[in-house]
Amino acid sequence: MTERAGYLPGIAEADIEWQTLDFQRGNAALHVEVPVLDDAQMDALAVRVKLASRTILKALTVSEIVDITDRAIARLLDRNDPYRRKCEALLPLVTGYDAEMVRLGLTGYLKTFRKPNLQKFIAEDFANPKILDEFQPAPKGGFTKAIGPDLLVHVWAGNVPGLPLWSMVAGLLVKAGSIGKVPSGEPLFAGWFAQLLVEIEPRLTDCLAVVWWKGGDTAREDALLKQADTVLAYGGNESLTELRKHVPITTRYLPHGHKVSFGMVAGATLDTRKAAGVAQQAAYDVVRYDQQGCFSPHLFFVERGGRVSPREFTRYVAHALAGFESKYPRRELTIAEAGGIAAWRDAAETEALSHPDMEVIASETGTWCAVYSEDTTTLNPSGLNRTIRIVAVDALDDVAPLVAPFKAFLQTAGIAAPPEELHRLANVLGTAGVTRICALGNMTAPEAGWHHDGRFNLLDLISMVEIEQSAETAAETFAPYTD
Amino acid sequence: MDFRGQTIIVTGASRGIGAAVAKAFAAEGGTVIVNYLKNAEAADRTVEACKTAGGDAQAMQADVNDRDAIQRMVDTVAEEFGRIDTVVNNAFRPYTFDPDNRKRFDELAWTDYRDQVDSALQSAYNLCHAVLPVMKKRATGSIVNVATDLVARAVVPYHEYTTAKSALVGFSRTLAAELGPLGIRVNCVAPGLVYPTDASRDTKEAVKDAIIEQTPLRRIATPEDVTGPVLFLASDWSRFMTGQTLYVDGGLVMG
Repeated sequence: MTERAGYLPGIAEADIEWQTLDFQRGNAALHVEVPVLDDAQMDALAVRVKLASRTILKALTVSEIVDITDRAIARLLDRNDPYRRKCEALLPLVTGYDAEMVRLGLTGYLKTFRKPNLQKFIAEDFANPKILDEFQPAPKGGFTKAIGPDLLVHVWAGNVPGLPLWSMVAGLLVKAGSIGKVPSGEPLFAGWFAQLLVEIEPRLTDCLAVVWWKGGDTAREDALLKQADTVLAYGGNESLTELRKHVPITTRYLPHGHKVSFGMVAGATLDTRKAAGVAQQAAYDVVRYDQQGCFSPHLFFVERGGRVSPREFTRYVAHALAGFESKYPRRELTIAEAGGIAAWRDAAETEALSHPDMEVIASETGTWCAVYSEDTTTLNPSGLNRTIRIVAVDALDDVAPLVAPFKAFLQTAGIAAPPEELHRLANVLGTAGVTRICALGNMTAPEAGWHHDGRFNLLDLISMVEIEQSAETAAETFAPYTD
Repeated sequence: MDFRGQTIIVTGASRGIGAAVAKAFAAEGGTVIVNYLKNAEAADRTVEACKTAGGDAQAMQADVNDRDAIQRMVDTVAEEFGRIDTVVNNAFRPYTFDPDNRKRFDELAWTDYRDQVDSALQSAYNLCHAVLPVMKKRATGSIVNVATDLVARAVVPYHEYTTAKSALVGFSRTLAAELGPLGIRVNCVAPGLVYPTDASRDTKEAVKDAIIEQTPLRRIATPEDVTGPVLFLASDWSRFMTGQTLYVDGGLVMG
């Protein structure tokens, strides 16, 4: 099976050099052809998108853009739609994730982009969304308008299915022309979404493009980056640092580096009725996308004092992981990944030799591993791919100081706690660097309009243009109707 | 079924159903702890039979009604073998199944009931208590409790025995509900009249014939008949079964 990735308006497919990425899952093979543009093609593409961004996209109202996006999402939610079918058939092959997990994950994810959610998304950043369409009176006097970049370049990373949707939609909502570079780990979704948008609204034909280049191909990168107004990039801190060197100083650079997320479980939630359910939710967060997301948990801090001890909680989590293994089998790992988790487990088992209070529970086939520890000084993150460390603490209030040294890397904290505790913890965690607090079981599904890494998804992209009151007043003096 | 590398404790395994179960596990490669109360000689014979069958076995004396003794036994097993995969609660106090001379309800003292509850239930309670911390560490394990088909059909009204075994079925279901989320399964095997065993030695031919007549498979159970369902419930083949009671009585009880 062969599938072409990308979306390249104005360039004939025959004029493009295609490179093939091979994905093999069991007996099924998928060949994804990715476009390799030359400098001139990349340059022309950027010029084309910028022009369309200025003349077409910026002339649409936000309401129109919301409607178009909503229609595209509706198509992707329809399981009989050809694009949706392609997603369900090919994304498991490309990413290796279990087909059921991809299917359910897509639906859960896509429905957060329906019209009401998009409206919330905008309202989160703009009290008056009309500010994206025309100058609006400002409380301080004068008028303001929010203007999106002509060219927003996205550099995506990772393999969580559909992840580029966040920034693509954010770009659309601020009327930015977009060129996105897909990662080799999941090169398909972004291109399909672009094609689908154009199918629904042909006026958008030149407003966006989806490209690819091999990691480290700085020539291609430079050709695009020098044209960008804003660059939104995802990935490891090393690649982001490297990328920053190629972004002109006049260009806004918005990096989203690797993050670490964790869970917290209050003793009050661990009674004999609720404990197994809380553990099930914790395990679900571990299982979803095999901890490949920035919002996936690496650690759980579990408070002592409940009817079910942190040690017992670990066992509940272990069995829940075993249960999920049959419902959502872990994706097939590369040799390096398999080696990585084997090493992680070996390290835990070695550590357990000198810490008799530790417990290492793992499936015989190595598909999951839960480690219980009472040592709060060794906060080794997980080995990914369904390996989790559960640390017992006397009080959840002890957690914030433990994670504070990793401030730059913190993102989500999934919390199971009574209301008062939730709010008290949120306060200290926020200061420690956590930017998102959610329920256990929801860690991998941020709600519409969330502030990714604590930032403003839309506000970060726009520039405000102001008509100061002085201009307005002065203009009055030049009015033809002046007495 | 393959029980190689697995450790199985069978209580009351020196004779009868327990011995047959021990041998059957050994024949599939398991390491069997042959628990017994008094008859060391019989226990040794079971151990020998287990080894001949191809598995490993060790006799361990412990009174299932003595909590400390059972704890010591489990500690020894855990230390020596590192894991306990299955526990078969089979031991029970001597009870004579004699339909002609059984006690009628008005002849029964409360202590008769209490003795049987201690026999069927306290023994299972003691061993489960001791073994669960070991099983929980691996988030897996199987507990098989030996009940009787009399709990479903009181062919002969052995009041105190059947009442206690009924309690064991309830005990098992409840434990199954609690331990399911930890990956540990609890099930019962409920045999019909098993012959020959020491307990059924005095059961009259007429009774056996009457039972045989009503049994679709037209015979009485042998100790070996009970082994298959016990091994099945211990094995991964029954991995999605818990809280169940399997009747092993040739179809006398259905459902």
